[in-house]
Amino acid sequence: MSKGNLSSSGTTDEQLIAAIRRGDERALSQLYRTHWPMVSHFVLQNSGTDDDAQDVYQEGVMVFYEKVRDNSLELSCQIKTYLYAVCRRLWLKRLTSKSRFGVRLLDDEEHGPYLHTGAEDDLLAAEEQDRRFSTMSEALNHLGEPCRSLLEGFYLLDKSMQDLTAEFGYTNADNAKNQKYKCLVRLKKLFFAHYKEEQAR
Amino acid sequence: MMTEADYYALFEAYDRGELAAPARADLEARLAADPALALRYADFVELTGTLQAQSRRRALRQQLRGIHADMTKGQTSLKADVDAVKAETTTAPMLRISRTERRLREFWSGYRATVGVAASVAVMAVFATLLGLEMWRTSKVQVPASYQWMRREINNLKQNQRAINRTIKRIDGTSALPTPPVNNGKFGGTGFALTSEGYLVTSYHVIRGADSLLIEGRDRQRYHAETVYSDKAHDLAILRIIDKKFNGFGRLPYTFKSGQADLGERVFTLGYPREDVVYGEGSLSARSGFEGDTAAYQISIPVNPGNSGGPLLDGQGNLIGVISARQNDLESAAFATKSSYLVKLVDSLRNTQPATPYHLPKTNQLTGAARPQQLKKLQDYVFVVKVFAKASE
Repeated sequence: MSKGNLSSSGTTDEQLIAAIRRGDERALSQLYRTHWPMVSHFVLQNSGTDDDAQDVYQEGVMVFYEKVRDNSLELSCQIKTYLYAVCRRLWLKRLTSKSRFGVRLLDDEEHGPYLHTGAEDDLLAAEEQDRRFSTMSEALNHLGEPCRSLLEGFYLLDKSMQDLTAEFGYTNADNAKNQKYKCLVRLKKLFFAHYKEEQAR
Repeated sequence: MMTEADYYALFEAYDRGELAAPARADLEARLAADPALALRYADFVELTGTLQAQSRRRALRQQLRGIHADMTKGQTSLKADVDAVKAETTTAPMLRISRTERRLREFWSGYRATVGVAASVAVMAVFATLLGLEMWRTSKVQVPASYQWMRREINNLKQNQRAINRTIKRIDGTSALPTPPVNNGKFGGTGFALTSEGYLVTSYHVIRGADSLLIEGRDRQRYHAETVYSDKAHDLAILRIIDKKFNGFGRLPYTFKSGQADLGERVFTLGYPREDVVYGEGSLSARSGFEGDTAAYQISIPVNPGNSGGPLLDGQGNLIGVISARQNDLESAAFATKSSYLVKLVDSLRNTQPATPYHLPKTNQLTGAARPQQLKKLQDYVFVVKVFAKASE
């Protein structure tokens, strides 16, 4: 990041990234607001709706955000360009899956600055992650009660063991914990079975 | 023997850093030594890692939705974002739109290209159909241009231009008449002698817009002529031969009838609808012409382009009219200007002291003769009138 682009509210890209890395929610909000019109315009121009634009944009921002939080972001261009590249790719994929015909976007396909931003690779990783998440959700659904609620409560909803003990009527926290570990073992079997299956496909 | 669940408890404690230092060192040593245990640990890490990532993802999604909702509502407590919000609200103002309208908008934004193509195809199809129908109709139905002048357009005259010019020069004896390079012969008609001194009669529309006129007889003798008088109303024109070598037609075999001819009279004409002289016969079918024109007769002679200006004679060899036009939407309806108008015209011209006096023929040599004999005498006094029009005509 040698360019030091000034965004609309006077913060450079580096400052913004640093703030996001620190977990500053206002920085994320600012990032979101700054680039929303661009992506929204792009999707609406290419036969998308406002909801589509919102979906695609949030997906794109999440990819960016997770890379920043992981410290694995290697940005060779402006944030704006990176986000555009990611969202463009995402929307193209959705259009292709929706349409019977070949899809052409209303922009310069050959020479756009959004090529070679590394967005492609990041997206492949993100897609892999998405696949893992969907497999996990499937595995959780197959797990059956009360294991599903217990694990979801602990991991996804961030409830404490004490709350879960009370909620599920275990006699003490240790019982609940043991139950959780058992559930986890079953989940592991389901998850890896599904995941391997997916990969084999 | 530890169950898998026990291992998981151990792993979790290890990950959270809750193990005491000796137990931690022990586990690390075992992980390094036992690949099966290491694999089990890796699975555990992936499993819990995925669950935690999913949890983070969910939270993030929630957060972004919140931001988006804030943004679209335009309510924000963050000063730094005011500008961005302003830009947002001006570029995409939130509209209250109904369900139906939103569906329509979605449809439009999704299919507008297709709709556009379909619309243009429809428009083109409509116009192609209309044009096609129109062309089909015009090809089927004759254009009812009911009244048509019977002058002839001459195409091959151009090729003869040089020969004609050479002839003119020979006749003139000088090269006073320049070769008219732009004057292509355009039209032709018929004319006939009015007096033996070189006056001729033809239709006005034949010589209209003429640049120069050429009279050609049956013997291919050509004379240069000029227009003396034209009567647009009655479609008559008087020409005069201006060649010096011309020495008169001789005695004209027919006379001009100054009164009305009778209905049902057998009439005939000679004319040049093509290169050779053509005889046409019929009867006088009405004493008025096109749309009640009292200056003309309606006759039942089949006439063709080129017949215009031809003489119309009755059975006794009296000239009763000048062929002018035909009506296309009627069967065999041709029109001829009455000779009485011609006689009146000549009378009025006599009073203007012309260079050559008008002496209308007094005796009729055709009366009582059989038709072929009549024609033999007549044909020497019927001429082709060739008209050289200006190029702009």
